[in-house]
Amino acid sequence: MAEAVFAQFLTGFSIVAILLIISLGLAIIFGVMRVINMAHGDFIMIGAYVAYVLQYYLHLNLFWAVPAAFVVLGLLGVVVEWGLIRQLYGRPLETLLATWGVSIILQAGIRLTFGPELRYVKAPDALSGEFPVPGSNLPFPYFRLFIIVLALVLLLMTYWLLYRTDLGMHVRAVNQNRAMAAVLGIDTRRIDSAVFAFGSGLAGIAGVVVAPIKTVSPIMGFKYAVDSYMVIVLGGVGRLAGTLAGATVIGEGETVLAFLFNNVIGELLVFTMIVLVIRVFPQGLFTIQHRRTENL
Amino acid sequence: MELTRRDLLKGAAAATAGAATFRAPSIFVRRLTQTSAQDNTIKVGILHSLSGTIAIIERSLHNAELLAIEEINAKGGVLGKKIEAIVEDPKSEVRFFKEKAEKLILRDKVVAVLGCYTSASRQSVLPVFEKTNSVLLYPTLYEAQECSYNCFYTGAVPNQQLTDFVPWLIKNVGPKFYLIGSNYIYPKETNREVKALLAKHGGQTVAEEYAPLGSTEFSTTINKIRAAKPNVVFSDLVGDSIVAFYKQYKQFGITAKDIPIATPITTEEEIRAMGPENAIGHFTSFNYFQSVKTPQNDRFVKAYKAKYGEDRVTNAVMEAAYFQTYFLAQAIEKLKGNTDPDALIQEGLPGQEFQAPQGKVKIDEKNHHTWLWARIGRANADGQFDILVTSNTWIRPQPWTKVLYPDKDCDFTKVPKGSKSGTITTKT
Amino acid sequence: MIGLTGLSRSQLIIALAVIAGFFVFPLYAGAFRTDQLGLFLCYVMFALSLDLIWGFTGILSLGNAIYFGGGAYFIGLALKLQYAATHATRYGEGAIPDFMTWNGLTEIPRWMRPLRNVWFAAPAGVLAMGFLAFVFGVITFKRHIYGVYCAVITLAESLIFEELIIEKQAYTGGFNGITDYDSYSGSLHFYWVILAVTVFFFWLSRKLTTTHFGMVLRSIRENELRSEFFGFEVANYKIFVFTVAAMMSAVAGGLYAALNGIVSHQDIGPILSIEGVIWVAVGGRGTLIGSMVGAILVKGAQSLLSEQFAWIWDLLVGFMFILIIVLMPDGIMGALLRRARRRRAIAAGRMPAYEAARIEETPTT
Repeated sequence: MAEAVFAQFLTGFSIVAILLIISLGLAIIFGVMRVINMAHGDFIMIGAYVAYVLQYYLHLNLFWAVPAAFVVLGLLGVVVEWGLIRQLYGRPLETLLATWGVSIILQAGIRLTFGPELRYVKAPDALSGEFPVPGSNLPFPYFRLFIIVLALVLLLMTYWLLYRTDLGMHVRAVNQNRAMAAVLGIDTRRIDSAVFAFGSGLAGIAGVVVAPIKTVSPIMGFKYAVDSYMVIVLGGVGRLAGTLAGATVIGEGETVLAFLFNNVIGELLVFTMIVLVIRVFPQGLFTIQHRRTENL
Repeated sequence: MELTRRDLLKGAAAATAGAATFRAPSIFVRRLTQTSAQDNTIKVGILHSLSGTIAIIERSLHNAELLAIEEINAKGGVLGKKIEAIVEDPKSEVRFFKEKAEKLILRDKVVAVLGCYTSASRQSVLPVFEKTNSVLLYPTLYEAQECSYNCFYTGAVPNQQLTDFVPWLIKNVGPKFYLIGSNYIYPKETNREVKALLAKHGGQTVAEEYAPLGSTEFSTTINKIRAAKPNVVFSDLVGDSIVAFYKQYKQFGITAKDIPIATPITTEEEIRAMGPENAIGHFTSFNYFQSVKTPQNDRFVKAYKAKYGEDRVTNAVMEAAYFQTYFLAQAIEKLKGNTDPDALIQEGLPGQEFQAPQGKVKIDEKNHHTWLWARIGRANADGQFDILVTSNTWIRPQPWTKVLYPDKDCDFTKVPKGSKSGTITTKT
Repeated sequence: MIGLTGLSRSQLIIALAVIAGFFVFPLYAGAFRTDQLGLFLCYVMFALSLDLIWGFTGILSLGNAIYFGGGAYFIGLALKLQYAATHATRYGEGAIPDFMTWNGLTEIPRWMRPLRNVWFAAPAGVLAMGFLAFVFGVITFKRHIYGVYCAVITLAESLIFEELIIEKQAYTGGFNGITDYDSYSGSLHFYWVILAVTVFFFWLSRKLTTTHFGMVLRSIRENELRSEFFGFEVANYKIFVFTVAAMMSAVAGGLYAALNGIVSHQDIGPILSIEGVIWVAVGGRGTLIGSMVGAILVKGAQSLLSEQFAWIWDLLVGFMFILIIVLMPDGIMGALLRRARRRRAIAAGRMPAYEAARIEETPTT
């Protein structure tokens, strides 16, 4: 039993890592621009198809897909930001709806190009198989370890970008007070572009890493989108710690509950818990305090 | 004006009648039995999701039916008339299934509809077919216990997939079963039958678990399986979940040598989506595999690949979709072009035989289900199945499986004329 | 009559003409199109309720289908229980619904028995949905959850209910939903009932929004905080309108179930809510008429496009939708109404042209 619990705890980490990777991009975009990208799940889907195309047509290893998806989705992000988000500046709810339209188009586009069937993406040979967890004889997949490491790397990289670079300082300034940042000479539009592109690129990477363990199809995105909304709403915006906390609570919560009861109850309880937590902390678990009078 | 007033009165009268009995007056539902004698085509509706969650598999049924229609037309059609396929996309939502079924029947006036995949979609359209007295041919394996006058079921029912499979697994692999399925009616019913068979043949259920439909995270389930140490994992997961489950099973280091997965639903199509290395050694019980050796199958596979691409695979559900199209064509031929639904249902379709890719198949004379072959296959490195067992003969379908319902049967010759259901209770 | 509706004479004439058009439509169209239009009217009511909460009050709810679907389940279940009591189903001897037999129930649970009477089930469903909306409203609005947060929370609520419906299959039919009961499809009478309810809801929504109450709602939409400083109990206004809208949705859902003959988990899930919001956005939020036009336009286009271009119809819908959001921020009716208002204002000399031009430019968000 103890061993099973330990195994469960470990698997929980890998689920937390997946949640973190899929919601990091959304969290950054939401944190800085205050817009919800309803097409986020479909950006993840496109990332998975980038991996598929590289593997199926060019016979490239999955590792190549990570930077490729980052670039492809970054460019897509620039296009969407420039063509759509910017046009709807200051109207977050309209942005939400317009990106839903993007979502419909991306799904239909991929379906028309590749068909509705599930696609197969293979994990790199180096990462297939499993290793015994030290101190026990429980096997754990290399690929899940890779996801955990990648999640940490992306988190640290984002942290470094936000807190250790000039660009990051500008981003944080815009996040905290857009008008004041603009007055101080920060080109907020360029910041928006950069942030949206970066967040979209992260979504692309997420698509690449979920492809080998889950499924790849035009409609795969919705689930990830919902999960990532939950993570950022629970975690709160404006701080990476919030995203980490949201992912941890949801990921470990779902795993533990699924182990104790079953998958259905696990999911139900976690959603209910999120609604209740928001009741108590309307801005999520971690957030930078904004004065409510800001938009008076 | 004249017309309007009369219609108004008719409507009001019908409405009063309706309020009294709470039955829907159907003043608008026209009888749609006129044959398309003067037309040069025979219109057939094709109702499979081309988008949305179920399109993953349903698209292939649509493809197979179009292929069959193309073949029939190339050979000169039915009694010199071409079959015209009218395709609708209900995009995986039951409300669209119903809407599109109505459209096909009422507006396009099709002779019959080939369609549906999930039980949910079939149940959403059946009332439409019963009300308008039209014909549906349904190609999917399903949980059975149904017997509608207006529907012909050409896929397998549990007794055709499980009766031999479960005892074979107990004998060749081991008696302890871990049951996992998606959370809806098909897996629950299938598992009920599996449990009954286990009890009968000295097997044992160590756990029974259901995952939300479309769920793709199985690490917890896999940990539970490891802790429970069964001999067989019996899976009736469907759709996305199949692929994610097999992949993660392998990634967590459980192979078919340790604990094989046995299933009545995983086909070549899902194996193609998960990669053959994730399926090697696992068992599937089905009527048809792409690797079946018959001349008809060689032709079928070759024609399918030629039309839809060399990398395509065929599977059991689409094979049923393929031969049910021939059933329909033969039935219309038998009736000399009469497409009256009652004639089709009572004379045309029952007893219809066809040399299908899986072997000779036949629509039962009495219960609207289909005589099929039973096979057990083991997935190999090419994403195909090595066929380990083939039944000696075709197997009679039992819409009410004898293991669970010894005193029930389906027999349209024993119910009063006009009954919408052929279910009967026999005293034992 | 004019006083009762608050419409001008010409508006009233147009409204009556439109109603008359809807009234006689089924006499000329076939059964299929009539049923379809009846369903569209149910969607129209759903869109109206969304317009009340989103268009007028600024609450973006992606969970309003909970109440639509909830109402639908009450009626669907009632009709199913009734049907099962008198008909042998395809699956067994009858007496109880087939999905209960599947799930091992041998009799209808005691708490569900009152639902066998549809005249009890209908008001019970509407009241239950009203109560549920009230509870969720209190949870959400008393804590000043607004904007995208509100959208995501309601989305979560919707998912919870969808999953519950699928999980509790013995009572709800699960993934397969409730089918195979006597529906009113094909009934001219029932179509007219739906039309009458739609007209009533439109009148009710107009009453709500053209009065002082409606003014407060709009002030909340424009600036919640300022409205609060003016002494309005913003949360209570929101809870009230949210509850009313939910009950309207429940009625729409109930009629939908009775007409359509099928209820499924998809009627309660978030996709329907998002679709509804799209109708309102396309038609023009905060105009009532717009939401109705939007629902019929989008549903109609979907239905026709998907018949003509089965393969690419959603691609077309996606592009159209984005274009409307970007180019016509107030939707189709919003743009038309603003133009008409401006012309009237200039003609009446109430407003100098430059001022009128400004109306043209400012979005109403």
